[in-house]
Amino acid sequence: MKKTYRIFRFDSAKPKQKHYDTFKVETAKGETVLDVLIEIKAHHDGSLVFRRSCRHGICGSCAMQINGLNMLACETQVEMLKDNTITVDPLPGFKPIRDLAVDMDPFYEKLHSILPFLINPDSPPTDKERLQSEEDHRKIELATSCILCGGCTSSCPSFWADKDYLGPAALLKAYRYVFDTRDVGLNERLPMLDNKHGLWRCHTIMNCNDACPKHIFPTEDISHLKRKVVEEKY
Amino acid sequence: MERGIGSSGAFAWFFQRISGIFLLLALLAHFWVLHYSNDGEVTFQIVAQRLSHPLWKTIDLAFLFLAIFHGFNGFIMVIHDYVRWKNVRLVLVSLVWVAGILLGLLGMITIITFQVPGGGL
Repeated sequence: MKKTYRIFRFDSAKPKQKHYDTFKVETAKGETVLDVLIEIKAHHDGSLVFRRSCRHGICGSCAMQINGLNMLACETQVEMLKDNTITVDPLPGFKPIRDLAVDMDPFYEKLHSILPFLINPDSPPTDKERLQSEEDHRKIELATSCILCGGCTSSCPSFWADKDYLGPAALLKAYRYVFDTRDVGLNERLPMLDNKHGLWRCHTIMNCNDACPKHIFPTEDISHLKRKVVEEKY
Repeated sequence: MERGIGSSGAFAWFFQRISGIFLLLALLAHFWVLHYSNDGEVTFQIVAQRLSHPLWKTIDLAFLFLAIFHGFNGFIMVIHDYVRWKNVRLVLVSLVWVAGILLGLLGMITIITFQVPGGGL
């Protein structure tokens, strides 16, 4: 199956020269957009820049916009895309660095700001883990499967408008810890969540739900978090 | 990046929902009272007599304040969403506050001082 690929090209040293390069690539059944990019880099244009690591939908490195939707290139099989011309762009909303690679530093800064680790001053039982019931774990199970690809935050119009907004990925991580029955760190996280650039910029647009390659529903978890914060304050 | 201390949004978010529910119910009640009570007859005299009653004045005042809060809080949310320049944001939010307070005062004076022309209840 031969298709045409329009790939966004950009060099931060020459920001005015952004453009699309077109490649025709033959693929076999089951091959993914990431396979196509690797093929282009190996045989058509070695200067093409993109991120990838695991190639199995776990590391989150190869999130990019394919035909206008945020997806993982390694999980998107070419035959799933009906168009004969496939357009590949970097994740929107983030500052592009080179071709399909964007600056993810602000994304990680926001993630770190919500203290993405278990907060519990009590020591765990000797020689044991902090155990949790299955029922308690179910509340956060889906949220723990986030691979931090940035697809959700990059698809969020609130984030496009306000670059200081925490974004769905950081808020989902906050939910994962706030609703973990072993965690007691809500008050420490509150100043970051209950903020003009925090929870209240989410207007339940739900693009993040569509963008998530792990089928998590960040909007729903963010809504739980909003109610939790209101209960905590009033 | 201004984060933390004193810049919340929890109350605005929460009360936007409470006022929204009130407005929805109040609008349905308003529609019913206006068009279906009195066999659907709507005359100035009927409406004026209703507006002269202290209970209706109280309901209308609640309607007024919650509608103003809901609408103008919505404006402020849009400003916080889209206006990135701090000084412009301050000016716009101040204008929204001033407009909201003036409209609230005007509405309050109108409701409280209203009497049926040429006679009481």
